Amino acid sequence: MNETIIMQFPSSYQWLNMIDLICGEVTSEMGFSHSALNEISISVIEACTNALEHGNKSVEGTLVSVIFHRKQDQMVVEVFDSGEGFDYEDYLQHIPDPSDIHHQRGRGIYIMKAMMDSLIFEKLPDRGMKVTLIKNVDDVE
Amino acid sequence: MKLRSRESEKTVILDITGKLMGGADADEFRDIVHKLIEDGKKNIIVNLSGVRWMNSTGMGILITGYTTLRRNKGDLKLLNVSNKIQSILYVTKLNLIFECFDDEEKAVASYR
Repeated sequence: MNETIIMQFPSSYQWLNMIDLICGEVTSEMGFSHSALNEISISVIEACTNALEHGNKSVEGTLVSVIFHRKQDQMVVEVFDSGEGFDYEDYLQHIPDPSDIHHQRGRGIYIMKAMMDSLIFEKLPDRGMKVTLIKNVDDVE
Repeated sequence: MKLRSRESEKTVILDITGKLMGGADADEFRDIVHKLIEDGKKNIIVNLSGVRWMNSTGMGILITGYTTLRRNKGDLKLLNVSNKIQSILYVTKLNLIFECFDDEEKAVASYR
């Protein structure tokens, strides 16, 4: 199995439900446990939320791109925005405590790191960020 | 997000359906929490039976409601939390903050 599904959606929250549905469809029958399927879907939604909210700043006309790579033993999802990017190395060193209720925000990256096997941030050469999320099938609980 | 408010004993139950994920949802939820506090109604149960998932922004909306109510000597408890939302609560350790119930009667009784 080696299949790629490519999609784009406008930077609006309303499309996140579609991402959840597609994610469920793409990852089905790959051998993931129910909780792993939930973790993939939650993490991809978080990556897309960050892309539209922080990357594209919800600007009308901007797009978020999602590429699902369905492989034999892992799911690889790439999420692209077209924003200015951010200093992810610095941010990753200072992820706030997610249980600290004085912070309304800042839990997305923590959730993705906790739920996926690998989370990679890349600043694209011209503009935008790419986030790669990887979940291995052999992590079945 | 669709939000319906009803009362049971001295508790207000907010039935949410759809998605809780940011944008206008945050304003709507904040406004209703402030209105309830103004009316002296500070024991809130958020019924999430109609919410299949939420993102961390949606979680932030609930946290803001919780902290606002706690500052005003009230509380915000969760009812009928889906598996996906439970996963987020556990991984962020917010399950230690939010009291969660599967049974509405028990949730209401917890405020007696």
